[in-house]
Amino acid sequence: MNENRMQVLQMLSAGQINAEEAERLLAALENGPAGGDSGPVDSRPKARPKYLRVLVEARDDPSGAPTKVNVRVPMQLLRAGVKLASLIPVQARNQVNDALRGHGVQFDLSQLKPENLEELVDQLSDLTVDVDAPDKEAKVRVFCE
Amino acid sequence: MMPLLAFLRIRGRSNCGFRLWIPLFLIWLLLLPLVLVISPFAFIACLAGQVNPFRAFAVLWQVLAGLRNTHVEITQGPTLVLIRVL
Repeated sequence: MNENRMQVLQMLSAGQINAEEAERLLAALENGPAGGDSGPVDSRPKARPKYLRVLVEARDDPSGAPTKVNVRVPMQLLRAGVKLASLIPVQARNQVNDALRGHGVQFDLSQLKPENLEELVDQLSDLTVDVDAPDKEAKVRVFCE
Repeated sequence: MMPLLAFLRIRGRSNCGFRLWIPLFLIWLLLLPLVLVISPFAFIACLAGQVNPFRAFAVLWQVLAGLRNTHVEITQGPTLVLIRVL
């Protein structure tokens, strides 16, 4: 067993990290370049993410328990959704675009293509979007796994 | 492959709740005759909307298949709503 993996498992057994954090660390060890001198250099292409994870933690009432939302959406569903958007008839698409513009969203559905999603996914696999709103006591994390 | 099972769990403030396994494969079987009846009309609607009906069917199938492994969990204190598609 790799030295780094052993260290993560020891941290988990010692209660320094929880299971979810351990899972992410192990995934990072598998995906990332081999750390230290102990392991061979992994020249395989990085595994494509399978899921989009959205974690939200918000506290509406300062004295109450926080509301936690944990959503895992398969990438396959996102890809199918983008393809579904391309099937919207032109007339309906124009209506949707007008409605979006009416709400201040400058977005054209016809420009939404599967390649755009792949590009976004490629970027998100190396990136975690953290939104922290201290005034509302809300945290949002978006990442791929 | 289409999702075959769904798991729903709801827990209230007093820690009472329920867990429900939903056999989606039975629902698909029940819906199959309905789909067969509706498909000619859907085909015509697709042609009227200038959409390739075969492509529409393929994309809808992909959406259904993509639902597998979806996980939605919302908790607030003791209350919980969990939906998993398997």
